[in-house]
Amino acid sequence: MSNAGRNVTYSQDLPKDRVPLPPSDAEIVSTACDYCIVGCAYRAITWPVGKEGGPKANENAFKVDYPRTESLVGSWPSPNQHTVVLKNGEPHNCLVVPAISERVNKSGNHSVRGGGIAQKCYSPWRATSDRLQQPLLRVRGVLQPIGWEDATTITAEVGRYVFDKYGEMAYGVKAYSYQFYENTYAITKLALQSIETPVYAHHDKPSAQDDASGLEDMGIDTFGPSYDDWSASDVIFISGTDPYETKTILFTEHIMEGAPKLVMVLPRKSPGVTWAEENDGIWLQVTIGTDAILHNAMCRYIIEQGWQDQDHIDHWAASDEELDWGMGRGTRNTPWQWRSTRWGASFKKWKKWVLKEKYAEMDVAVKMTGIPREKIIEACKILTGAGKKRRPKTSFMLEKGNYWSNNYLNTISFGNLAIICGAGTRDGQVIGRAGGHQRGGVSAASYPRSKTPERFGKIGRKALNVDNWVRSGHVRFMWVIGTNWIEAMQGSQDLADYIKEHTTGSKHQVERFDVEHVIQRLKARADAGDMVLINNEIYLRTIGNQFADLVMPAATWGEENFTRAQGERILRIYSKFYDPPGDAKPDWKIISMVAKKMGFDGYDWKTSEDVFKELARFTRNSRQDLAPLVKYAAINGKQPYDILRKRAATGYQLPLRLHNNKLIETKRLHNPHVHIDSGQGITTKSKRSGSFTKPSGKLYLHKVDWNLFGDFYDRIKPKKDKGELWVTCGRINALWQSVFDDMRKPYIMQRHPMNFIEISPKDAAERGIENGDIVSLENDEVYVQVGGFYRARHKDFLFTNLEKDGYIKKTQGSASAMAYVTSVVPPGTTFMYFCWPGGGASNSLSSAVADPLTNAPRYKLGKAAIKKIGTIPDYMKKRMTFKEKV
Amino acid sequence: MSENTKKQEADATQETSPQEAGCISRRKLLMNGGKVGGLAAMSMLLPSQIFSGKAEANQGGMVSAAVTARTVRYPRTKVGSLSALKKDRPVTIQYPGEADGQKALLIKLGEPALGGIGPNQDVVAFNAFCTHQGGPLEDQYDAEKKIMGPCEFHLSTFDLTRHGMMVSASAVQNLPQIVLELEGNDIYAVGVLGLIYGYPDNMMGV
Repeated sequence: MSNAGRNVTYSQDLPKDRVPLPPSDAEIVSTACDYCIVGCAYRAITWPVGKEGGPKANENAFKVDYPRTESLVGSWPSPNQHTVVLKNGEPHNCLVVPAISERVNKSGNHSVRGGGIAQKCYSPWRATSDRLQQPLLRVRGVLQPIGWEDATTITAEVGRYVFDKYGEMAYGVKAYSYQFYENTYAITKLALQSIETPVYAHHDKPSAQDDASGLEDMGIDTFGPSYDDWSASDVIFISGTDPYETKTILFTEHIMEGAPKLVMVLPRKSPGVTWAEENDGIWLQVTIGTDAILHNAMCRYIIEQGWQDQDHIDHWAASDEELDWGMGRGTRNTPWQWRSTRWGASFKKWKKWVLKEKYAEMDVAVKMTGIPREKIIEACKILTGAGKKRRPKTSFMLEKGNYWSNNYLNTISFGNLAIICGAGTRDGQVIGRAGGHQRGGVSAASYPRSKTPERFGKIGRKALNVDNWVRSGHVRFMWVIGTNWIEAMQGSQDLADYIKEHTTGSKHQVERFDVEHVIQRLKARADAGDMVLINNEIYLRTIGNQFADLVMPAATWGEENFTRAQGERILRIYSKFYDPPGDAKPDWKIISMVAKKMGFDGYDWKTSEDVFKELARFTRNSRQDLAPLVKYAAINGKQPYDILRKRAATGYQLPLRLHNNKLIETKRLHNPHVHIDSGQGITTKSKRSGSFTKPSGKLYLHKVDWNLFGDFYDRIKPKKDKGELWVTCGRINALWQSVFDDMRKPYIMQRHPMNFIEISPKDAAERGIENGDIVSLENDEVYVQVGGFYRARHKDFLFTNLEKDGYIKKTQGSASAMAYVTSVVPPGTTFMYFCWPGGGASNSLSSAVADPLTNAPRYKLGKAAIKKIGTIPDYMKKRMTFKEKV
Repeated sequence: MSENTKKQEADATQETSPQEAGCISRRKLLMNGGKVGGLAAMSMLLPSQIFSGKAEANQGGMVSAAVTARTVRYPRTKVGSLSALKKDRPVTIQYPGEADGQKALLIKLGEPALGGIGPNQDVVAFNAFCTHQGGPLEDQYDAEKKIMGPCEFHLSTFDLTRHGMMVSASAVQNLPQIVLELEGNDIYAVGVLGLIYGYPDNMMGV
């Protein structure tokens, strides 16, 4: 597996010492950042090359005098906020700068990711010049340009053939969940409404399941809190994320402003941890994979001390009877139903359980989590106020370090802790995700769970594990849209092996451009049980470059009008401000062209706004209900995009309600004080607005059975005698997703020229590793589950039994990276960037055995034996920094 | 502009003239990680190619008019003397002009740095305002780590041994480095690498 296009690109930034100012008549459009969940508001400013504004307020589009050296005033474009793009075919200067907004990124604040987003834009004169510009067909093993007519005909005809002959279970779609409402709606319309395939999964997981599954089971909408809630908290328990690193403006603009005490649970030190410790907070340096044990022990200790928020519990924790609401005598086969039936408990029962549970004992927790007893107790005191008269307002935030190591158990045990500490419904006392990417997903149909063979026990349905289904040989046509399918999934190399064998390794290959020939060859491929692979992308990445039969160029952020919501549900328009590269088209358009040729109705959209108007009703009753906006526009003879443009950076906080011809926003979900005027007209009276999401509206405490995870955990732990270390992974501040943009930003690449591994000085010394050395990471125990979708009894899903019954394959994984020798990681633990393409993929080193309760991945649980195999060139070493960030 | 300041001419040929030999080696140091030898040919190149021709090639042939000379249009200003500098004791200087935003710190780091001058190549100067949102960094020199920061506003830090590259930052530009030259014991500022916070052009008002 090598990287497509670029691999290790070392570049020194060329710092510029001037930046062109936009003239007064430059065009300004509102947009928001394309990157992290926070979704800061931005302005894109364009004007023809050859013109420049002046430094006086009446001479430039910012309408301010320069130099503008007061701090925090915004409107100073840094040179990395400038690029040159094509607009209407002509070169234009382009500045993308933070908006001055009352929300989210106040005072023009920005992160290092969004701050340099201008460098994302396609520019024929810059490093983005390798954007895909026309469809490419693999002919005799080489990707070569063809036209849209042929590309969409091939995709439609071959797809239709597979669908008709082998059914929807042979037609798979793997797509981003977030890259704008218009696109995700179109994709799900094809996959889930027209084809109705359950072989559908998002970019970041093998199954279409909730991320923080346990919290969802408990009735908590994980994007319920507003950013003001985090500011208003006295204490925030933060599990598995450093928001400074990865949702920077949430941290620097909202958390730092409120200055709560932070209780941070992370295996590794990062700048947010330093800030927490310097501001009366505490860092619980947890051993990878043991969060559930920590939560259990904290719950037990708090209950033993009587420090729980009993009023809150009495009011909001569901009774045994309430737990059964809405399930009646039904089959209880949806995931939350069968899980809550088995592990849900009233407070009384739950308390009894936690007080006698072995894996909630303090001594067990100290041993397994590696956190000293006094620190655990100190954390309990901070969270609860230790029985003092005034209980602190405590909120609970979690992210992937928590739910992608031990999904179900970590999230329900986290929820238990949050509930007994009084969080859930009130200002500054909230429970939620910090978030990763923005929320741009809307589904045109329900996921057809009833079609999957996945069963937990006799009735418990789960979303299909697409990777497992592919590896099991059931998929003959796969459409991958905007995701690096291989590196993004666990057991990456085994997945790549399968894909290779059944695509470019198939004996049925295209040898001519003639469309009939192409279709015939690809049909023969499908008939042979191999796989036809289609890829929509903006760059050639591993999946397209190495394996796809057809790659279609997508137009993305800034190149088409789109909409999306961010981490506190604020909806904004992301306006088009320049030309997409070449013939690239938005994914909704590509889907529509193919769907029509497949014979499906309802894909006659002319513009993004047509799609937006159609998708609005599919958001009803959800946290992102925007249907009232479309209705409001229609009533008042306006266009919804125009309304959004006028709202610009402010946007609308969803869900919306329409009352007396006014749009009303929702600041926080689960707010019992919210007055929902009526369920009339377009406005829905959503349960989640005023209470929790489950039928009784209450919070569901759950028992936590460590044995569901324990045997797997024991098997995949690093083996000391083999010199193995944990290899965990995650985001870092300067990089976004699979670094597809970052590797084209010289400013970022000078800092992070290649994937890295943080290794402790002790582990490094034992292996003779120094800063800048290139190391190999080898794991000869990468387990991959193949088959085993249906199992009769719960215990059959335990790793030990899956293996005994022949559903576990033992494979090997390798990666390489450059060493940072640093004390931010403890001995025994290393950390890599999470989705570096090509040979640095951390997911090669962890087992593709999903959490059997939720089918969630366990990306954070990699391990490897690590060895020095080289060193980076002197040229690089002298120019990059090895200073610690903390 | 002070007395010991003279405008340098925006003439590329000036780069190789004997009078400017000190200047050439400065630029070679900047681009060559402190090594003077081995890149003799480079000194013949135009300023726009000097900084890092290799990086440009790697960046898909990025050519930008803005990558102009880093020093030719700047004043040459005496900003201190080598013997007066004490390790880890930053001295406030002004460059290229006298405006508040053009305050900079002249620092003897005690370890070699890219762009450093002096026998140990450890004397550097950087603008004193964070390139993120203009946070004052004058008191934020971390002598132990040789970084500037964390900025008290949003915690950005910059590596002073690496041209002011971000260590951890919200900033999207290196901390602007003041290009220094040594003439005997005298330290001259001769240019700026990077744009100073709040300025569309470093030379505005100079």
